[in-house]
Amino acid sequence: MTLHPFTPFVLVGGVAALAFLLPPPVGPVALYGGVLIAALAAGMGGAAVAAGLVLLPLWGFLLLLHGILPGGDGYPAAVAQGARLGAVATASIMLLRGFKPSRFLDAASSRGWSLSAAYLIVSTLQAAPRLRARAASILEAQRARGLRAGGSPWARVRALVPLSLPLVLATLTEVDDRAMALEIRGFRSPGVTRTPLDPPPTTGRDRSLRWGTLILVLAASVWRFG
Amino acid sequence: MSPRLLALIPSAVAINLAMGFLVNQLGLPLYVDTIGTVLASALAGPATGIITGLVSQFVRSLYEGFIWFPFALVQAVIALLAAVAARQRGFRSLPISIAWGAVVGLGAGAVSAVISYVVFRGVTATGVTAVTTLLTGAGLSRPAAVTAASIATDLADKMLVLALAGVALRSLPGRVAARYPWAARAIGR
Repeated sequence: MTLHPFTPFVLVGGVAALAFLLPPPVGPVALYGGVLIAALAAGMGGAAVAAGLVLLPLWGFLLLLHGILPGGDGYPAAVAQGARLGAVATASIMLLRGFKPSRFLDAASSRGWSLSAAYLIVSTLQAAPRLRARAASILEAQRARGLRAGGSPWARVRALVPLSLPLVLATLTEVDDRAMALEIRGFRSPGVTRTPLDPPPTTGRDRSLRWGTLILVLAASVWRFG
Repeated sequence: MSPRLLALIPSAVAINLAMGFLVNQLGLPLYVDTIGTVLASALAGPATGIITGLVSQFVRSLYEGFIWFPFALVQAVIALLAAVAARQRGFRSLPISIAWGAVVGLGAGAVSAVISYVVFRGVTATGVTAVTTLLTGAGLSRPAAVTAASIATDLADKMLVLALAGVALRSLPGRVAARYPWAARAIGR
């Protein structure tokens, strides 16, 4: 069963809080283990692998700076920090893979949340891949016109101007059209509320997960600072 | 929030993310992923810049993990300083933009160093951490190495970011620039 769109955010927030509240190095390592098991159980082993690949260089630097080089905090601190990063990154990538912008927008509007805030997140998530594709096509077009995108660092910095300028100017020029489209649809008209067609339900499972996370974080805070 | 700002902010955030992609493709050891935040501040003021910065960090966290979300504070500092630069006509020429880039870089680097040291024990993005490792190997204490690495990389990065933002603002068609309250002053018109 699919979770309510807000529940994964509560879970990731809880993992981030627990990563820094649980006593190192055992606490963060156990938390990372728990997140990995949850990823496998949810059929999201790929998220764990993706997070591991992103973090691989950082884990190397942690061992180097805190273990091998003098003056570091030692191997236990490096392992604890590596496990914290692993737990939070894996949970975040799991969240992203299950994130459905339209469901999030429906959930936000059914709760009476500011539509502007939800719109900002959702429209950004839709704009980001579009602009990335545009950046890639500008890069190809400028290369075809003879732009050298390699060589010395200075040459590469200079190459940024013909690459970034078309991207930025075209995007800012389009803002006009988008603003007009929002205005025509009465996006900010006073007294107009949006009715979601299919608002995601909050199930008992959602409530248990949210309350369970909150209780765990509170317990860890009391245990740590109490 | 007006429809114009609702349309500008996602575009500025997407510019931040797309610039990160271009810089990766060029193999530059910099980020250049705050240009959208700087443009939003210079066009529509600090509040728009701060929202752009926070949304950027949130969306980047969705893609790369919420471990980097504490750096949202750096985005806010960049937005505020870019707005000050815009009020002082800091984008009117290339040398002035670069000078303001140094100011923004120092501010962002200082905040970034504190977050890197306190939250991440000095291990953050690969490029900065490589510099930290080199400086630690050369005998600097950990706090000194983290601070020097953060400020050095942010200084170079923000000088380039404000230089590029200045070029973009000065090249903006008059019709588009006229729609934003801060744009004309930012470029000294």
